[in-house]
Amino acid sequence: MTQTADDLDLAFVDEAVERIGRGPESAIPILQAIQDRYRYLPTEALRRVCRLTEIAPAQIVGIATFYTQFRHRPMGKHLIRVCIGTACHVQGAGVIHDAFLKHLGVPDGEDTDPDGLFTVEKVACLGCCTLAPVAQIGDLTYGHLTPERTGQVIHDFLESEKRRADRRHGEGGPAKPGAEAAGPAGEIRVTLDTCCIARGSGYVYEALQDAVAETGARAVVKGVGCTGMTYLTPLVTVTEPGRPPALYANVAPQDAEAIVLRHFRPHGHLARAGKTVSRLLDQVLTDEAWKPLQRYAVDVRDPPIAEFLGPQKHIATQHSGRVQPTNLDEYLDRDGFQALERCVTSRSPDEVIEEVRVSGLRGRGGAGYPTSLKWQAVRRADADKKYVVCNGDEGDPGAFMDRMILESYPYRVLEGMAIAATAVGAEEGVLYIRAEYPLAVRRVSEAIRRSTERGFLGDDILGTGRRLHLRIMQGAGAFVCGEETALLESIMGRRGMPRLRPPFPVESGLWDCPTLVNNVETLALLPWIIRNGAAAFAELGTDHSKGTKVFSLAGKVKRGGLIEVPMGVTIREIVEEIGGGMTGDRKFKAVQIGGPSGGCIPERLADIPVDYEALTEVGAMMGSGGLVVLDDKDCIVDIARYFLAFTQDQSCGRCTPCRVGTRRMLDILDRLCEGQGKKGDIEELEELARYVKKASLCGLGSTAPNPVLTTIEYFRDEYEAHIDGRCPAGRCKALITYSITDDCIGCTLCAQHCPSEAIAMQPYQQHEIQEDKCVRCDTCRQVCTVDAVEVT
Amino acid sequence: MPRLVIDNQDVEVPEGATILDAARKLGIEIPTLCLREGCEPSTSCMVCVVKVKNPDRFVASCGSRATEGMIVESQTEEVREARRTALELLLSDHPADCIAPCQTVCPAQMNIPRMIRQTAAGDAAAAETARSALVLPATLGRICPAPCEKGCRRARHDATVSIRLLHRHAAETDLASAAPWLPACQHDTGKHVAIVGAGPAGLAAAWRLLQEGHGATLFDDREAPGGMLRYGVEEDLLPRSVLDAEFALIEQLGAEFRGSTRVGRNVAIVELARDFDAVLVACGRTAEGNAGQLGLEAAEKGLKVNRQTFETPTAGVFAAGDALQPRRMAVRAVADGKAAARSIIQHLAGRPVVAPERPFTTRLGRPTEQEMTAMLAAASLDARVVPSGGEAAGFTSDEARREAPRCLHCDCRKADTCLLRKWSVALGAKPTRHSGTRRPFELHVAHPDVVQEPGKCISCGLCIQVAARKGEALGLTFIGRGFDVRVGVPFNETIAKGLKVAAAECVAACPTGALAFKDEGMG
Repeated sequence: MTQTADDLDLAFVDEAVERIGRGPESAIPILQAIQDRYRYLPTEALRRVCRLTEIAPAQIVGIATFYTQFRHRPMGKHLIRVCIGTACHVQGAGVIHDAFLKHLGVPDGEDTDPDGLFTVEKVACLGCCTLAPVAQIGDLTYGHLTPERTGQVIHDFLESEKRRADRRHGEGGPAKPGAEAAGPAGEIRVTLDTCCIARGSGYVYEALQDAVAETGARAVVKGVGCTGMTYLTPLVTVTEPGRPPALYANVAPQDAEAIVLRHFRPHGHLARAGKTVSRLLDQVLTDEAWKPLQRYAVDVRDPPIAEFLGPQKHIATQHSGRVQPTNLDEYLDRDGFQALERCVTSRSPDEVIEEVRVSGLRGRGGAGYPTSLKWQAVRRADADKKYVVCNGDEGDPGAFMDRMILESYPYRVLEGMAIAATAVGAEEGVLYIRAEYPLAVRRVSEAIRRSTERGFLGDDILGTGRRLHLRIMQGAGAFVCGEETALLESIMGRRGMPRLRPPFPVESGLWDCPTLVNNVETLALLPWIIRNGAAAFAELGTDHSKGTKVFSLAGKVKRGGLIEVPMGVTIREIVEEIGGGMTGDRKFKAVQIGGPSGGCIPERLADIPVDYEALTEVGAMMGSGGLVVLDDKDCIVDIARYFLAFTQDQSCGRCTPCRVGTRRMLDILDRLCEGQGKKGDIEELEELARYVKKASLCGLGSTAPNPVLTTIEYFRDEYEAHIDGRCPAGRCKALITYSITDDCIGCTLCAQHCPSEAIAMQPYQQHEIQEDKCVRCDTCRQVCTVDAVEVT
Repeated sequence: MPRLVIDNQDVEVPEGATILDAARKLGIEIPTLCLREGCEPSTSCMVCVVKVKNPDRFVASCGSRATEGMIVESQTEEVREARRTALELLLSDHPADCIAPCQTVCPAQMNIPRMIRQTAAGDAAAAETARSALVLPATLGRICPAPCEKGCRRARHDATVSIRLLHRHAAETDLASAAPWLPACQHDTGKHVAIVGAGPAGLAAAWRLLQEGHGATLFDDREAPGGMLRYGVEEDLLPRSVLDAEFALIEQLGAEFRGSTRVGRNVAIVELARDFDAVLVACGRTAEGNAGQLGLEAAEKGLKVNRQTFETPTAGVFAAGDALQPRRMAVRAVADGKAAARSIIQHLAGRPVVAPERPFTTRLGRPTEQEMTAMLAAASLDARVVPSGGEAAGFTSDEARREAPRCLHCDCRKADTCLLRKWSVALGAKPTRHSGTRRPFELHVAHPDVVQEPGKCISCGLCIQVAARKGEALGLTFIGRGFDVRVGVPFNETIAKGLKVAAAECVAACPTGALAFKDEGMG
């Protein structure tokens, strides 16, 4: 099944080099092409690249081993990517990963099963936080996993592979939308971004097309961008002229026909329709086959949804759920590129920069540097060539705002970039987008192509003679590339190692030219600011934090998803009003905000507003906008360890404090979680944390200790409990035991599901757990119908 | 021309100069590991950090531009602490020994690996290495319980290196030569030390004092020198001719022996203290009441001294060896005698008497099986050589030269030039301050001249820069990232293929022993 060195056909390498280029900056794209083709990087292929190009062996090996996307061992036929992002972590991603390995019989220390069919990998974040825990196989995403469902997932995947193969060999092409000749009377919109597709939107989309074709309904089926309500997807909106839109949540493919029939009178099916519609709609409410998702039809005005949408303000995510992401005409219909037109025809660059200054816009990538100051610096820099770069290397494990914006509003980002480029005088630009976001890459390149064709980009922008050429560079799996100097190194085809600033990129960036680096969300806000005026933007928010901020809300709240809120709303408002409060009515313990660079804010401080300075003051930071809500069953030491393990793993390794310091901090946290903590560990940890914070070279290292420092500050007693050998939240495996109480009714369910045979089957008797065999996977507690499994 | 303030001193530097340049202009010393002229600052080690004020931040001075109005602190305790922590973190992931465990264990601190390498090379200097540390290497070569061999790491694989027989062989070969090695002596200082007792401690002290240009008179109640070596060891174990030959060398150096003189009865300590510039009491085990007889204070097990400096409460009187505490190990007495001589030398020079710091060393600790295999890369895999003439006969030259290459060379080739060690000593960094996961020991010896020990690498990348600049076809590169980042040759090729033209420059650029010449540190 796997490719071996012997049967390698290297002709592809020659083609790839020919297509991509021979300069050093082509190295990463070439490696990506090679990996796409061979599913790993065969050494022979790399040597061939060096022979054909200017790329030196030291460069290619340095890169190939720096970025986690690249594999050096042959891979199984299918790749199972288990998300270990924050939301998935708190929902037990670790045991899911172990369960896959166990189910597939993967030998210890390896990642591929003996038949070479599946390779199991951990990934930082798939950006489907609201479906946690999640795993992806091929292009299918499975959400809400449990350890014991892993077998089912593999089975389901193989079945779907078979079905697809059958379909490819079968006769039917894609169904045509019905009644095209007569002109559509309405639209059926299906959200189609990654997490929606993960929840089956693709199948729903196909089924709706089939249903429209079959019934001849006068409607078009459209794939649209994210609405933010990811907990409701697959989400279908039906619009008919003269009627309020109807919203269906958690739709299954088999519901498609019922939905179509409900709204559109079918031609030639009249007689049948009357009888069938009510039956089908009953089924919508009762059918159990489309597990695990609960399904119900909702309307946008229903209270929980209205609340979810209500306190928000959509600027970066304006028109959410109403536009087809790559449809340029739709974008233009909704004032698209008007802001750019204004900037190139009736405003001077200085006026544009002044507008941005007055708006109070600050960088949305994390640090919150005033956007206009950056622009000013690049504008003033004296150079023949300048660049503008869109930072879309969102790697925070628990945040997916940038992915959603790029997938749903690609034109808005491009327009923002064009405005920025005009203001600073750049004629070339690069969008650096994670390779883990293939849909974003596809849609943005499509959008670049169409915008260029229609003269919004290219050699003659809107007939003004101005130039702007944009291209995409795909990141290759290195969180540190979110740091701007590392990102620029990566674009130039090097290891993504941050360098000392100054010089800042605004003076010396890409190929030593002045370079403007702005985050996706920052850019997406610009068209609105220019169209509506700086004052309208500055009206929103607090004294020093203006406008809105997009967050991905996940964790233990009832409603997770992507939200855009005005600066200044409180954490508590987000959790309780937008998030709908805690799931399972557990106790709200803390929010982790800002991801691995941010901190944990305890419930008692939840009334602080979303504001750069206010968050920094309590030890957290705005960061990229991950917001994970924790309840009393989440272990705070484990959370700190989780984030530190992430940054430690993502450290580039350049400077001592980050490379070794974070490792030593993690050693202590590992000890604590394994029950090996000793007196003085907490003080030692604090001391190291303060050192790493002050002495690290770049932002990754200097913010890495934040989760540790804030959790020690607010939850010191929980750290002390670990030294005493207790985990109050009952999370740390080494510190807890599972037992069965006398509430047990002897139903044997736990014994049937236990993956490690730690429970002997004893019908009608109280069961027992053998501690030495127990792997603490929590399955027994989850399957027990009478809550007889106790964790102590 | 930016002007800035470093440690309250104004300085003006050319545009583009770094904070480090500015500090150097002021004569302020800032430690650096990963900076090399002609290379880009890699801003990696963070040992050169300084604090820049308003807003306060720590920066790498080697790569940070000096700007107008900057206020910098470079010598505060806070800054020193940050430097020390950087060093301690580097040391926490440094699976290597500066000093080989055998040498650390040897009370007399003989540079055993060097003596063995000299033996392997057939170099007569092996005797010099042995005698300068042990004073009586042939004698000890027969009777020493060889604690060094208990420290020998080779035992983890098969059996220890036969260190004792090797130094015995080196010493005996030298004694049998026409002109046995003698150290050079300083000019006569005119000062004279009375040494009470001509056992191993007294002889060792005399040996050191004479080299310093001081006179040494040995008083002993027996008629011949050697103390317990002569009067407590059987002739079979230690032929007296060996002891005589070694004492002869000490006499040649200028020692005066006065036998049959019992101090405390024939001569009083006070008299010696009056007639000599200093007195060392090395009279062996002191029976109860002896101290009083000598006119000195007693402690629980022997004479009362400062255990660090060997000073007795009586000014100018020192004591060493079994007189302090019965030890049964002659080499321990030798070590004491040398240490006491060191204090006496300070005393005679009018300097404050201070005990030496223990030499700085990192420790690899107990190697894993895999690490053990790596360590054997350059060593002879033969079994321990058994002397053909029996243990008492010692090694023949051929046997010694077969046994010597079994040594694993645990010591660092760059122990004397390593910047990590130098600054760790200077800033008082403790190698054991942080512990936890560490990289494995590795050793690459494929290159004809250079050895690579990745465990000693601080990932600064200077060698990578140098190799690229010298136009190496393969060169070196960073492999991996983060804590696991390593410097290696692309495509898993050997270091011989990676460094065809730049080896010497890479070795020179390497701040630690990660890249070293194979024969480095032999001299």
